[in-house]
Amino acid sequence: MKKIDKKIADAYFHARVRLIAVLLVIWFIVSFGMVLFAETLAQYTFNGFPLHYFMGAQGSIIVFILLLFVNAYISDRIDEKYNLVERKSKPAKGQSFQS
Amino acid sequence: MDSQFLVSLTLIVASFGLYIGIAVYNRARQTSEFFVAGRGVPAIYNGMAIGADWMSAASFIGLAGTVMVLGYDGLAYIMGWTGGYLLLTFLLAPQLRKYGRYTVPEFIGDRFQSKTALVIAAIATILISFTYSIGQLAGSGVVIGRLFEVDAKIGVMIGVVIIAIYATFGGMKGITWTQVAQYVILILAYLIPVIFMSLQITNNPIPWLSYGNVVSELGALDRELGISEYFAPFDTASKWQFMALMFSLMAGTAGLPHVIVRFYTVSTMKAARWSGAWALLFIGLLYLSAPAYAAFSRFILMKQVAGSPIDSLPAWTEKWVNTGLLKMADTSGDGILQWKEIAISNDIVVMATPEIANLGIFVIGLVAAGAMAAALSTAGGLLIAISSSFSHDIYYRIINPSATERKRMSVARWSILIATVVAGIVALNPPGVITQIVAWAFALASGTFFPALILGVWWKRANAPGVIAGMIVGLLVTLTYIFLAKFGGFTILGIIDTGAGVFGAGSAFLTNVIVSLSTKPPSQKLQDEVMDLRYPEQLSYKDGEVWKDDKVI
Repeated sequence: MKKIDKKIADAYFHARVRLIAVLLVIWFIVSFGMVLFAETLAQYTFNGFPLHYFMGAQGSIIVFILLLFVNAYISDRIDEKYNLVERKSKPAKGQSFQS
Repeated sequence: MDSQFLVSLTLIVASFGLYIGIAVYNRARQTSEFFVAGRGVPAIYNGMAIGADWMSAASFIGLAGTVMVLGYDGLAYIMGWTGGYLLLTFLLAPQLRKYGRYTVPEFIGDRFQSKTALVIAAIATILISFTYSIGQLAGSGVVIGRLFEVDAKIGVMIGVVIIAIYATFGGMKGITWTQVAQYVILILAYLIPVIFMSLQITNNPIPWLSYGNVVSELGALDRELGISEYFAPFDTASKWQFMALMFSLMAGTAGLPHVIVRFYTVSTMKAARWSGAWALLFIGLLYLSAPAYAAFSRFILMKQVAGSPIDSLPAWTEKWVNTGLLKMADTSGDGILQWKEIAISNDIVVMATPEIANLGIFVIGLVAAGAMAAALSTAGGLLIAISSSFSHDIYYRIINPSATERKRMSVARWSILIATVVAGIVALNPPGVITQIVAWAFALASGTFFPALILGVWWKRANAPGVIAGMIVGLLVTLTYIFLAKFGGFTILGIIDTGAGVFGAGSAFLTNVIVSLSTKPPSQKLQDEVMDLRYPEQLSYKDGEVWKDDKVI
């Protein structure tokens, strides 16, 4: 155990919260936003679909999946930046180990 | 016995032999392994296991039919059931993992230092999982009943026996690897018919790209018939109902006990994040395909079935008409079956379409095997959640804290068995269609766990009286609204029973905040524990200082 500067720990926390806030704003726009303006979107067509239908059936879901991968990737970078990469416990040879 | 029966039976038996074989091979030996599989599952496989747990009878059997019947309004299920993963992964999973409790009730009990909160949360877990598993068992009854041409009730009983055997003896370790196998089978079973139909109708093997034009064409066909277009928004329910249902499904996803526990089955937070991302990718494959399935089914029904003479309908129609789930009557008396004269139940669209499109006995059997995997895998996860809530949270922590591990194991196994049998009995006469029953379970989760968990990890001022009052109010408001909307015809802004969670969650948040603020703040120790959740797993917060653990975790 070693003590680390609380400012650094809090900077880490704020970096994570900022990331989550940005991702959730995008999440809100592609889900609730697309439903709120469904009638407007219905006037446009994309790849054969009326646009509101495309967003509900494909667009939003693809954005959701991308957001999760973006989060996993950026969170790994944040962990690296703050030198907080987790190490997996590996049992030594011939030793039984339970995490 | 026709060849279809033999092919379907062989495929189902072979796939279940595989799952049970894996479960027996991995048979759990220790309690900690029984519940969270020893925390040693790689992210991508854990993602598949989450996917199989997640994709239930509602997703596999019910979803495409719901989208086909409701049109655009059915997409609330698609967006809701996928979007909830973001709330779960961003707002709850890291904190719950760091807190390190096996079950959600245990988290609530320890975070608020209250046995009352623990018991209420355990009861809510049992109620939610139980409601949900009724839907699953009812789904398995429909599949088995149709397949063996026996009554759906006998189908339910067969399902109960199978699920009881492998959930009782496999535990979650068995189930994690079983789930991976189930995911592979059920996604193949879902994609193959969609791809074949796409080739048949559009000559394009990629359904996700090809079905847009089919959707537009369906709208054109509807205009000719003078009915509202397939893709017209808010045709069957109000815009508020769409958003309430979507919210309810999202918040319910974030609060579902059997999904949250999967984030404990990997060894690091990093692995948990990647499992969540993989899980949504694997789940998304099915959810992106369901509206395509729906569009192709409707197209085939409109173009190939509607318009044919009533006395020379294809052979498959009779079998489905006999189940009572498909009605075709020449009400206009012109000798021709019109589109408006076909009444098809949501729950048979996925099962019947491969027959309608004449995709061959192998594909039809595969879809049956996939549907069984979907129904029983989710039921497995749910029954584990019921069993751990009872044996761990109620029995071990409240009734008999000195119980030996052996005794707890036996209570866990007995509670799985009893829960399966009771859910099976209710499923003999299901109180609604599959998607509806499952939507109630989500409404209950969003009214009880979602507010309790969000406030519990993000707001250190939330205290025991607040969470107890919040969960009770949320539960009562949700239940009351479901019953009033379903049986009393009472609705607000056109929001029906399936969207009840929005009122439950709203009132629970409000109650929790007001009661917490008007009672004593939690002890400094508890507030410090909530502060500690801000930091990653290898940092700990003590007396205003942050410490880093350099040792392996």
